[in-house]
Amino acid sequence: MVTPTATRAAQSRFNTSLRGARAREAGWGFGFAFVPLAVLGLFFIYPLGYAVYISFFHWGILGKTAPGTGTFNYAKVFHDPIFGTALKNIAEYTFAVVPLEMTLGLSLALVINQKIRGRNFFRSAFYFPSIASSVAITTIILYIFSQNGLFNHLFGFSTDWFGNASTIGWGIVSMNAWTTSGTVMLFYLAALQAIPDDVYEAAALDNTSAWRTFWKITFPLLRPAHFFCLVVFGIGALKLFDQPFLIAKGASGAPNYSTMYPSFTIYNAAFGSYDFGLAAAAGVIYFVLIFGLTVVQRLTVGRQEAA
Amino acid sequence: MTKRLVVILGLFVTAVALLAASAAQAGHRSVKVTNVTFAGWSSGPDEDALDTQMANAFNRTVGAKEGVHVTWQVINGDYGQAMTARFAAHNAPDVFYVDSSVIGSWIKQGVIQPLNGYVTKSHFDTKAFYPKLLGAFEKGKTIYGFPKDWSPLATETNNALLAQAGVKAPRTWAQLKSDAQAIQQKTSAKHPICLSADWARMGAFMYQNGGSITNNLTSSANAQAVNFYVGLIKSGLAYTPPAGSWCGQELGQGHAAIIFEGNWLLPYMKSTYPNTHYGVAPMVHNKKQGNLAFTVSWSIAKNDKNKAAAWKVLSWLVGKQGEKIWMSKGLALSPRKDVPSIGGRKPFLAAAPYAHGWGFGNPNFASAYTVMGNDLNAVIAGSKTTQQMLADVGKALKGK
Amino acid sequence: MTLQTSVANAEPFVPGRARSDVARKVLLYGLYLTIAAVFFVPFLWTLATSFKTIPDSVNVTFFAHPWTTEAWRTLWRDYDFPTYIKNSIFLAAVIVTCNLFLSALGGYAFARLRFPGRELLFLLVLGTLMVPDQLRLIPIFVMMVHWGLYGSFWSYILINLVSAVNLFFMRQYFLTIPRDFEEAAKLDGAGYFKTFWRIMLPLALPAMAALAILQFQGTWNDFFWPLILFGQGSTSHYTLQLGLAELHFNYGTLWPEISAGAVIAILPILVVFLAFQRYFVSGVVSAGVKG
Repeated sequence: MVTPTATRAAQSRFNTSLRGARAREAGWGFGFAFVPLAVLGLFFIYPLGYAVYISFFHWGILGKTAPGTGTFNYAKVFHDPIFGTALKNIAEYTFAVVPLEMTLGLSLALVINQKIRGRNFFRSAFYFPSIASSVAITTIILYIFSQNGLFNHLFGFSTDWFGNASTIGWGIVSMNAWTTSGTVMLFYLAALQAIPDDVYEAAALDNTSAWRTFWKITFPLLRPAHFFCLVVFGIGALKLFDQPFLIAKGASGAPNYSTMYPSFTIYNAAFGSYDFGLAAAAGVIYFVLIFGLTVVQRLTVGRQEAA
Repeated sequence: MTKRLVVILGLFVTAVALLAASAAQAGHRSVKVTNVTFAGWSSGPDEDALDTQMANAFNRTVGAKEGVHVTWQVINGDYGQAMTARFAAHNAPDVFYVDSSVIGSWIKQGVIQPLNGYVTKSHFDTKAFYPKLLGAFEKGKTIYGFPKDWSPLATETNNALLAQAGVKAPRTWAQLKSDAQAIQQKTSAKHPICLSADWARMGAFMYQNGGSITNNLTSSANAQAVNFYVGLIKSGLAYTPPAGSWCGQELGQGHAAIIFEGNWLLPYMKSTYPNTHYGVAPMVHNKKQGNLAFTVSWSIAKNDKNKAAAWKVLSWLVGKQGEKIWMSKGLALSPRKDVPSIGGRKPFLAAAPYAHGWGFGNPNFASAYTVMGNDLNAVIAGSKTTQQMLADVGKALKGK
Repeated sequence: MTLQTSVANAEPFVPGRARSDVARKVLLYGLYLTIAAVFFVPFLWTLATSFKTIPDSVNVTFFAHPWTTEAWRTLWRDYDFPTYIKNSIFLAAVIVTCNLFLSALGGYAFARLRFPGRELLFLLVLGTLMVPDQLRLIPIFVMMVHWGLYGSFWSYILINLVSAVNLFFMRQYFLTIPRDFEEAAKLDGAGYFKTFWRIMLPLALPAMAALAILQFQGTWNDFFWPLILFGQGSTSHYTLQLGLAELHFNYGTLWPEISAGAVIAILPILVVFLAFQRYFVSGVVSAGVKG
């Protein structure tokens, strides 16, 4: 017969070994996660802190260039009309490109989702532009849309699409929507395939038209995908740099500030004016904007999302 | 006994011989060789080869005598960014190019070494340089670099189109306008003049009207010049080059009859459009003569560890021998009065007395230049007035 | 197929309906093919241009006249593209390998190993996605300059050893693997690393394949950070994208050469994509929607 003391002793031994096991698991967990966490900490979190730090100083190539601590860099950014133009441009760009690529992507996904022949071929064709690099795509598009290029030749235009301030913004929007639509398509495709067939069958039994089926049933069911795309591609759009940099051959924002974006103002402050404090302040403001936008998206579109 | 003596003598002689030999060696070794790097960007294989040639010439002559060995290092990509990183890491090349448009901000950042001390110590002759060129690299009386070459703007014209219209290369603003009108009427060139939407061209016109970029930017003289320049475009007598092209290419392809470019046009036309015959005339003028000098200096880093040796290299590079080699390919013009430029450059050299160094030593020039370009595009498109642009640029130059 | 679905799919025979059905199908397929053509045309055009001579490249014709491989040879000979390709391959290989190992390790830890603060740390990992590149620009630039790594590949490799997206992706995948495997391993007395290395990693091979392909694409196509970290100073370090950008910046009208460069830039990814389509698609998909 087991005496109570013996049981308790056995239990306490079990408890310590359990705690020991827990500790060991935690140790291994930390060990495994250590290098990834260190890399992310060192190259994302630490730079964030460092940027916040130097944004309060006059900071140049060799460190502090003038004494004084304060929010003068932030004030300079807020009072800079060029930064205002940059914000306007990136807002216009984001609010144009994200809905466009989501619509395109969803449409393409709907096409592929049907039982059409050559599905794989079409899926490859539609995804193809997404796999090319920003440099390759930009140089190709610049060639085709040059003033005497293929596009103008085929459709009888004579506009310098990527040379005019009035058309260059839309040119970049179209180009990036085109190249990103393939990736968006894949996400929507997976989401569409996750919708069970009975939903459609129920709609067919009720004799619902295809259009209504889509709007009243499919579209709302895609909410998780909508939210995901909004966040991921929204953030991606806000970070715009490569394509306008290649088009304007630098971060000048030419012509007429039509390609001036926040990423450029930061780049110019750093490598044009060598004012690292100013560049850091602009970067911090930019980060706060992105963070805020993500929170807003989470609270509105993502509210239905279970964490 | 004799054997022991011989051994001791032998050892003694060997020791003395060894000592003597090492002393002689030490004597040679006492001439230490300092390694100096000089660096810059490269506009092409010609420039690269020329710099290497200068390095070899220096090493053979002054370098061998003074114990300085110099190597040329080309820096590709964004020169400013590459140099920024090197300054920050305290391992910048000893001697390097500095464009006149950035010298102001680099001086302000404290990365350029003032040279007056070295000039006086080595009795370097600064008077041989064109004063305005040297002035582009001075702040007050302090010299921060010596110009290695320069180029102003000139008027280049397409011979065929001008002959067809029966006009000669314009010398004044009035002639520019009348010549363009004649070409427009009598030839197929609908917009005879190619004008870049760039203050690095329009600036010359501002000085030609008696205005100035460093002094009273919003003056009526400047506004008139801008309105003249923009007016040519708006009236159709001139056009801005399309994306991906520049006025040099437009001239080469026969689209433009009159353009304003610098010495860099000549090697370009020779290699890319050898069949287009063009003429070079001095830059047009109005109330005054006015031009811009695009010039690059040799400078030394403030944190450099071999400043004395670097100075030896720098003074040779911009001295008579170095500049003679540099001028041999005609890549740019000679900054020294006593070293001739390659042939056929008279229209450019004429501008030396009134060519203002591009950048004007202004430390805020990079950001001001962004404003200049964008605002000028706005004025041409009609969404900004000339006064607004001048005010904006004025503020940007002051660092606001 | 159940009787229900077969009934639902059966369509009543209505004479005449068949022809309009066929017409509809033809129209739709025509539309799809047109879209596919539009998507392909730019690339085909680029390929065609790469075989033209420079004067001919101004002409808007598909077929080169004369047909020449001069542009390709120029890239190889005069513009050092072999070096650029070599550099791109090197970086892609190193970074993909590191990412595979580290994100599998970290992903497994976040999915299956309990340690204090795990959830909070993971939120932080996701949070790094919001830090824009331009904010990190100056701090990383200064850090690399002070460590003496600026201008060398190591600066780029260090900052790309592992990414939040990859960690997230692997964690998601490990979460879907039933616990039975680990419990069996524990009964056999295997330690944590052995369990990971011998059992979990092989089980995660599909995800790793997808991750390898996506990371390869990301590194191969990267422009910004190579531009900043080692793209200024010496062309010996250029990647393919930097080399192509330099062509575009300095020799913008050499259309045949630029086209050839663009084709080289796209080709490896295209090959990888066509060969491993399944993994590509599953990778992009599971990285997103399952989250």
